[in-house]
Amino acid sequence: MGDVVSILMSGLFSAAILFLVAAGLQLVFGVMKIFNLAVGSFYALGAFFGATLVNWAVGEGLPQPLFFFGLLIAGILLGVIGPVIERLLRPIYDRDEAFQLLLTFAIVLMLEDITMMIWGSQPRSTGSLYLVYGTVNLLGATVPVYNLFVIAAAGTIAVGIGLLLSRTAFGRVLRAAADKREMVQSLGVNTRRLYVIVFSLGVVLSTIGGALVIPVTATMSEMGVELIVEAFAVVVIGGLGSMRGALVGALVVGYVTTLSINYYPPIEMLVIYLVVIVVLVIKPRGLFGGETA
Amino acid sequence: MLHAVDVHKNYGDYVAVAGVTLFIDEGEFVSIVGPNGAGKTTLINVLTGLLQPTAGHVHYKGHDISGAGPVKLAQLGMARSFQLVAVFAELTVMEVLQAASLTRLGRGMRLFHSLGSDREVRENAEHIASLFGLQDQLGVKSGQLPQGNKKLLDVASAFALYPEIILLDEPTSGVSTSDKHRIMETLVVASKEIGIKSIIQVEHDMDIVFGYSDRIVALYEGRVLADGSPQEIECNEEVMRNIIGREPVRNA
Amino acid sequence: MSTPTERTTGSTEVKHPDGKGIGLWLKLALVLLGIVLLALLPQVLSRYYIILMMPFFAYSIALLGLNLLFGYTGLISFGHALFIGVGAYSAAFLMRDGGLEYMEPLILLSLLGAVIVAVPVGLLAVRYIGIYFGLLTLAFGMLFYSFLLKFYSITSGDQGIRVEKPILLGFIDTTGIDYLTGPFYYYCLGLLVVMALVMWRIVKSPFGLTLRCVRDNSVKAESLGIGVYRYRFYAFLISAIYGGVAGVILAVSVGQVDPTMSYWTSSGNLVFMTLLGGFTSFFGPIVGAGAFILLQDQVMSLWEYWRLVFGAILALIVIFAPSGLMGLLTMGWKKVVR
Repeated sequence: MGDVVSILMSGLFSAAILFLVAAGLQLVFGVMKIFNLAVGSFYALGAFFGATLVNWAVGEGLPQPLFFFGLLIAGILLGVIGPVIERLLRPIYDRDEAFQLLLTFAIVLMLEDITMMIWGSQPRSTGSLYLVYGTVNLLGATVPVYNLFVIAAAGTIAVGIGLLLSRTAFGRVLRAAADKREMVQSLGVNTRRLYVIVFSLGVVLSTIGGALVIPVTATMSEMGVELIVEAFAVVVIGGLGSMRGALVGALVVGYVTTLSINYYPPIEMLVIYLVVIVVLVIKPRGLFGGETA
Repeated sequence: MLHAVDVHKNYGDYVAVAGVTLFIDEGEFVSIVGPNGAGKTTLINVLTGLLQPTAGHVHYKGHDISGAGPVKLAQLGMARSFQLVAVFAELTVMEVLQAASLTRLGRGMRLFHSLGSDREVRENAEHIASLFGLQDQLGVKSGQLPQGNKKLLDVASAFALYPEIILLDEPTSGVSTSDKHRIMETLVVASKEIGIKSIIQVEHDMDIVFGYSDRIVALYEGRVLADGSPQEIECNEEVMRNIIGREPVRNA
Repeated sequence: MSTPTERTTGSTEVKHPDGKGIGLWLKLALVLLGIVLLALLPQVLSRYYIILMMPFFAYSIALLGLNLLFGYTGLISFGHALFIGVGAYSAAFLMRDGGLEYMEPLILLSLLGAVIVAVPVGLLAVRYIGIYFGLLTLAFGMLFYSFLLKFYSITSGDQGIRVEKPILLGFIDTTGIDYLTGPFYYYCLGLLVVMALVMWRIVKSPFGLTLRCVRDNSVKAESLGIGVYRYRFYAFLISAIYGGVAGVILAVSVGQVDPTMSYWTSSGNLVFMTLLGGFTSFFGPIVGAGAFILLQDQVMSLWEYWRLVFGAILALIVIFAPSGLMGLLTMGWKKVVR
């Protein structure tokens, strides 16, 4: 029983992180119709910066139990690069998708080196800091409470996004812009400012994802480039542009990877890609594609 | 030749075409008229195999072509032009017409032949171009043509297939009034040259409609309101008032 | 905006240089000059740079294939490295397990391998366009990568497989001479010339013209009776063949194959090279391959953060010079000719 619960929780944890990054992808794709290959890079940035900030803060006397918020703050702070990168992407909004993909690929390349320049290639981590919250015994499985926090945080954010999209005026504007950009423009909405906000939100979601994962792993130099592959699987399965899709896709990918790792590691990536291909063939728009929420 | 029998087309709950039955024979020039939203373009798309009818079927020369797809229909001898100008922006006029000839002659798949050496295709292209007055623009990229000529090219490339029946979706829309007649004259002359047997057009300009059609089909809210010669339609009160916006002609 | 399977807007918005470009005879002269120069290079360059030309030949061939898909058919593949990997590993397996020693059958069989993979992938992929095509091809590339990486018993995982030097033209082997900088160099040059010639014929053929129709307006193309999926599929097959041959060249010249040959960033770099050279020109990809390799070598030796530089270059090209180097050259030429 303990094994099952252990797998259940691992899968949930993976799904939580994947959801955050994928949500960033979906938001930007849904509203701006750009598939941002760089979300993996933002995720990596979040991890590095999160580790650095928290290690520094704890060293300066921050009480250890508050480190969780340190991670969140790290993610949010990184949002400042959002407007910068959006400005870079602006010239190609109306261009062919090929160019948009290429420009985000260019950003991936640049961020990969920028990250290496700042932090080097040594793995960073927060060590055993996450154990400060202790572990809990769930039906025979030992689960770090930190993991539960992350799952709860992701869940809260998911609900928050859902409410934002369905209940607020801003959310309504977002959904309208996702459907018909020109119409929204003619209604007097400042699409330029909207895009900056949306893109920055997307960045923050990804950076928070990276920051939250760091306590249980260490940074790796290729983590950004590798994560985009999983994130891409999530949004394709769930359907480009759909938040619900991000949730479902994250769960699918999270569990497939967890199960594969537990039973037959070599097929981990293979199975994900097979699922992606099958979904793309049967329902090219993904499970929830075509929706914006 | 072309029979549409009780064709329905729904988009979810929205009924675009609700039971249209239409028979087009050889030698007819039929205009389909109706207000926006009457289902004209949808009907054309069903007739040209782009859309599968929700109910009913379409027969062409005896074959059931419902939802057959434009490729198959082009091979069967049906061609069409588009409402919103459809061009191959980067191809020159010559290349566009060559491409159409190639498909017609079944030579599109030739990988190692030189395009330029195919004299028949080239002469074909030049011939069609001259029918449409485009012979001086053969080297111009389609995307750079003036709007009227783009429309002509759209129609010309369809004609280059030497089809038996052609459907024109608003061939004179977006074109200045002085050009409209020029285009229609060119069309009529060219179709005789090519040997096109029947023409169906969707058209809004009533002068054009009454000036060139053998038959007018009035569509309203997805249904055929009236179907007859211009003279008959002229007397039809309902059609004249609701669709055409003129006073009906009173019988003497 | 596009849906997964149809495009509702027209062509690429990049304005191809209009009017007459550089005259045909001049182009021919330049090409011949280029071939002669390439043939003379081993006499002037140091061994280091001659070896660097191997990937140039390989990528040039791969990109000729990629650009058939991208520039001429309008499909952006983010998985072209799949076929490079297939070609490379086919060669490796054939030599290691099949005992094959001769280059020509090696190329032909690896080519066959690429086609075998391309058929199912292509049948699936060409039903989608735009970003969905890009993502699908990316997925297939990564699928192959993960197979190469994880199935250690067959592929030796991340260690890769060593590749020996095959016998060229039935009699040229490694005894007594510098294989790579000598006969193999000219062999690759010959391969490039031959494959470029073939691609030139393809592009100028009725097939090439029809591809461009499919690229510019697939709906209109269908209304003219052009079977859009069929043409895209054949373009895909041809591009796969070119990728496969490139893979063989890489395998032999590096002496080693490894999974990263098919990683998605490798595919990304291929698209980068195509754009750098200019996808609107036939020779653009070749120029792009050369420029990329040269630049990468120079930048890497000066600064380890070459990706930053390259990312910036790619960004600049996409934003300001989407027609790439050839586009800039043609524009500059026209200004000079005025």
